Amino acid sequence: MAAAMVSSAERAVLEEEFKWLLQEEVHAVLKQLQDILKEASHRFALPAGGSEGAAKQENFVLSVAGMDQVKGVLTLQGDALCQADLNLKMPRSNQLLHFTFREDKQWKLQQIQDARNHVNQAIYLLMNRDVNYHFKTGSEVLKLMDAVMLQLSRARNRLTTPATLTLPEIASSGLTKMFSPALPPDILVNFYINLNKLCLTVYQLHVLQPSTTKNFKPAGGSILHNPGAMFEFGNQRYEVSHVHKMECVVPWLNDALVFFTVSLQLCQQLKDKISVFSSYWNYKPY
Amino acid sequence: MRLSIPAVAVWGRTAPSHSITAIMITDDQQTIVTGSQEGQICLWDLSSELKISSKEILFGHTASVTCLAKAREFEKQPYVVSATENGEMCVWNVTSGLCIEKTKLPYRHTAIYYYHCSFRMTGEGWLLCFGEYQDVLIIDAKTLGVLHTLSSQSSDWINCMCIVRSARIQEDSLVAVSVTGVLKAWDLSSSLTSIQERQNVYEKESKSLNCMNCRAIRFCTYTERLLLVVSSRCWQVYDYCDFSLLCTEFCKSGQCFAGGEVLAAYRLIIWTEDGYSYIYQLLNSGLSKSTYPADGKVLKETVYPHLLCFTDVKENKSFPFVMGFMNERKEPFYKILFSGEASGRITLWHVPDVPASTFDGSPKEIPISTMWTLQDNFNKAHSVSEGIIDHLCESKDGIENAVVTSSVYIPSLDKLVCGCDNGKIFITLGLETARARFLENVSLKGNLPHKVLNGHSSRVTCLLYPHGNSVRFDPSWLLSGGQDSTVICWDIFTGKILHRFSLQSGPVTELLRSPDNCKLQYHSVVCCVCSDHSVAVLHLQKKVCLLHARKHLFPVKKIKFDPTENLLIVGCEDDSVYVWEVETGTLERHETGEIAKAILSSIEDSEHLVADSLHPVSQDSRRNKNVQYKSSSSYKRGMMSYNLTQTEKSSDKVTDNSLILQPFTVLPVKTKWNDENFHVLLFDLEKLVDILLSSQLCGLKSSNSFHNYDALERAKSTTEKRALTLKRNKTAGFTLSMDGQVDTVCANQVNIDSNAIRPLEESGGIKRQKKKKSSRKTKTQPSGNIDVNITTDTAKLLLSCLLPWGVDKEIDNLCVGQLDILRLRCPVAFGLVSNESHFSLMLPGWKCTDGGVLEEHTLSNLFSKRVLDLSNKYLAATEGHTGEKDGTVNNVYGTKGAEIIFFLLSRIVLINRVFNMPSADTSQIESLEERGGTKNIDPCAAKDCASSTKL
Repeated sequence: MAAAMVSSAERAVLEEEFKWLLQEEVHAVLKQLQDILKEASHRFALPAGGSEGAAKQENFVLSVAGMDQVKGVLTLQGDALCQADLNLKMPRSNQLLHFTFREDKQWKLQQIQDARNHVNQAIYLLMNRDVNYHFKTGSEVLKLMDAVMLQLSRARNRLTTPATLTLPEIASSGLTKMFSPALPPDILVNFYINLNKLCLTVYQLHVLQPSTTKNFKPAGGSILHNPGAMFEFGNQRYEVSHVHKMECVVPWLNDALVFFTVSLQLCQQLKDKISVFSSYWNYKPY
Repeated sequence: MRLSIPAVAVWGRTAPSHSITAIMITDDQQTIVTGSQEGQICLWDLSSELKISSKEILFGHTASVTCLAKAREFEKQPYVVSATENGEMCVWNVTSGLCIEKTKLPYRHTAIYYYHCSFRMTGEGWLLCFGEYQDVLIIDAKTLGVLHTLSSQSSDWINCMCIVRSARIQEDSLVAVSVTGVLKAWDLSSSLTSIQERQNVYEKESKSLNCMNCRAIRFCTYTERLLLVVSSRCWQVYDYCDFSLLCTEFCKSGQCFAGGEVLAAYRLIIWTEDGYSYIYQLLNSGLSKSTYPADGKVLKETVYPHLLCFTDVKENKSFPFVMGFMNERKEPFYKILFSGEASGRITLWHVPDVPASTFDGSPKEIPISTMWTLQDNFNKAHSVSEGIIDHLCESKDGIENAVVTSSVYIPSLDKLVCGCDNGKIFITLGLETARARFLENVSLKGNLPHKVLNGHSSRVTCLLYPHGNSVRFDPSWLLSGGQDSTVICWDIFTGKILHRFSLQSGPVTELLRSPDNCKLQYHSVVCCVCSDHSVAVLHLQKKVCLLHARKHLFPVKKIKFDPTENLLIVGCEDDSVYVWEVETGTLERHETGEIAKAILSSIEDSEHLVADSLHPVSQDSRRNKNVQYKSSSSYKRGMMSYNLTQTEKSSDKVTDNSLILQPFTVLPVKTKWNDENFHVLLFDLEKLVDILLSSQLCGLKSSNSFHNYDALERAKSTTEKRALTLKRNKTAGFTLSMDGQVDTVCANQVNIDSNAIRPLEESGGIKRQKKKKSSRKTKTQPSGNIDVNITTDTAKLLLSCLLPWGVDKEIDNLCVGQLDILRLRCPVAFGLVSNESHFSLMLPGWKCTDGGVLEEHTLSNLFSKRVLDLSNKYLAATEGHTGEKDGTVNNVYGTKGAEIIFFLLSRIVLINRVFNMPSADTSQIESLEERGGTKNIDPCAAKDCASSTKL
């Protein structure tokens, strides 16, 4: 194991192996990584330059099992929700409400957009070192891998960690203005991605009277707020009375997540392979 | 208030690794600023002959630097802003190395542009940023707070942007290209008010360019018409008026364009990812070749490019290159093309004002003007870049300097333990080693007490002295981990091996002590992280390995102990968590995602072990101060934070005195990608003075009764003379700010002192006052713990570092002979501490050019030749009345040596305090002293004043 004990013959073999690692194996892994990530990138269906509208539209039906109170049909096109169809049955009045996106509007899902951009950045990093590039040191590879892994783990994190929003933030977001007819003030809607699922939450609110005896305590930021959460918006105090959370698996997001995990492991394995040789001699850190 | 901790860097022979990720040249073309993947920022001096020399290295960021930009109008304030991968932003003064402002935002910027509209804006201007977030962020250049965003209809990340200033249209606009290749233009100057009022500002135009991976966009200010768009596959020229395409040029296969700039009207420079650049002349092709004959409108004129010149970095290319171009039309400035590489090399090309091709029309190569790396400076100034124990190895057995790969300083024993790459471990006395390293005294070197521990067969990768942080460990235990996968427990006093743990899992990367609150039977437990990502739990008392957890696929990021259930919780870099049962050694759980996060955060309150294996040093700091860590819990603790805040903390509350505080510390620093350690010596000035005072209190009580008035006067004037130069020197060294005012302050202050020829009692009185003031402090502190001799030696070492040797032979001899302040062997590299996590260190080669004219040996530690000039003038003026009574002096110095040292030190403290005052106060003092100083003039002092204000 130790450097001092390595004989010169052994050392020569090791050096030969390290050379092979840098010149052959690294490029093989980089190629594999590129293929996987390109595959992942295709899943995000970035409308390639020139071919506008190439991203295909997919419909997702979101509903709560066994309940017909809330139902949503969302149409996803690349990183944008281009159509939404929302059916709400109000619990008290049994009145049926129907909302759709305005024709001229679409809602960008920032999480998908960010994940897509991170993957493309990773691909760009890898593309710069094509087969002709000659890696001279191990640390050069390590640095490249670090940069790629950073992008990949950010891409993954964007999908796995939805933004934690406060209720006033949801109320003030542009999403409420997307619908026609306009959403009534006692309904809030939020869309997000959680892992491989497209999620829709509908909050039903009731106004807290100023005279109420209840202790007003505004809720902090959260992915999903529970009934009873309170907040103040536009000089009016509200309390969440009902929460409907619906989700639907987006198959290609699942694929993308698997690709991210696999490529992260590939990167780490390559790093480990390089590091093994550092035990034998001080490979020049540049 | 800033901390008054002077620092001195002890560099090794190899320069710290500096993989350049961002590079810029300041507007005055005197400084190159580079940011690195390691997180440090390096300042380089650029001479008027385009020679580069490293100047300073700035520590503070904990992640890779992504971009640099100027942060003020450079003529007014030489400030530069840096941003990192993890969202940290810092504003630095590039002349002094001070960190002016810092923040951490949840945004990762890829580029920053400074924008200031002097007639419509209040404040210091804006930083227009874009990066891995949607649209453009506007950040206040002074406070670094987010002001607003420029939004757009279909938001996306921005890839590149430029500010278009056109005199013709009287409007500043911002033109940006998004990742999907959509060009967007915002009005800037006309939307200033709406931005300030935080109204939504949308783009006024947007157009899809159909170019992916856009790298740069530039507006031609010469023609006020052309817009250059560089994408990785091609570059294009558009007409800014109607965004019509004028020409396209594709890159060679295998190349990627990385950026470009407009050189002059119809002349462009484009550079690639692999370090080439091309200069093109755009030629008008007339109407005939128009690419749009079919659209029925007026035929458009088009242009086509002609290659004039190119540049190339021939050998040792290391990806990726970061390049830039600086266009200056005025003399004496140059048009410079600059590039930084991952290897840390900077290359400059001087682009001629009128580039031309060769006579036969083929493109001409522009030769490289300069190439430079940090290592070049280290090689050049090898006396400065000598490791801290190099001299030990040489004297010992002729081994060519063993590289220190890990080290630890034990303040309570003043022991410095250095592990080397040949497996030896050296244990020496910290202060003595530093003295031997710096001072010109041969007797010190040979018989420096030290121990060599032989046990590892290859590089020593980490060291741990567990007793240093937790008294439950035996004070004699010293742990070392090696490349050979063994952990050895030593007896630090005898040098015997107590036990050797063989782990057989690759090099040991980390040694960590267990938390204080864990169960009794685990009290003498340390954790050990190996490079195969396994974690070993070692029981030192029982000399057994309790658990070796080997299942981790990714590097270990966090280790926690659950004290109640006896679990070891390991968090990995891929955000998965492994839960191990220590008793049985079984893997209880392996979780990912949300559950993993929940597990890690639920244990947050119990003690953690590792923080982040990527930053061994910062981790070191965090680990050592758990309280601080928990409260901050984010990763922004800098490298220095441990020692600095610790000293700070303890000097705040000396009363509870749980720590025996030394006025002197050695801080080992390890940078990423580098095996070699370097060290920073920290002196706590206030502490030093306090301790000296308390020791003098008894010894000096009534020594103010002197018989030889003349001799004392003489002594006093010499000290003051020295103080003059000393303080000049000091200002240069510590604040490193060459502002004229700073120098004036001290010059004037000295004038006051030397001009008002006070009776002796007065000076004694001052001292007594000081004594009174600080004796309150000193009483509370058990002075018995601190060896006065060590303190005096520390003080002498500090003074040696600060004194301007060679300026005045007489004083030099006096210092060496009487005061026992020894000469320096070589110039020292000072450090400047901005706050608890930001500091700068001088690099070897700093201002070498300045002293180079004079003989190296006689003159060291001279920051500027002006100091010498001043001193000569002063000497000439004072010669008349000081050059007489030499005979009587000697014996006085013999007795008064300690007092003089103390006097000098207290002066330094005073100056330091003056500088640390808020700026308003300082200027007041300045003006006060200026008046006072010039009133009672002797001719020389006036000259001093005059010349120092010119500085």
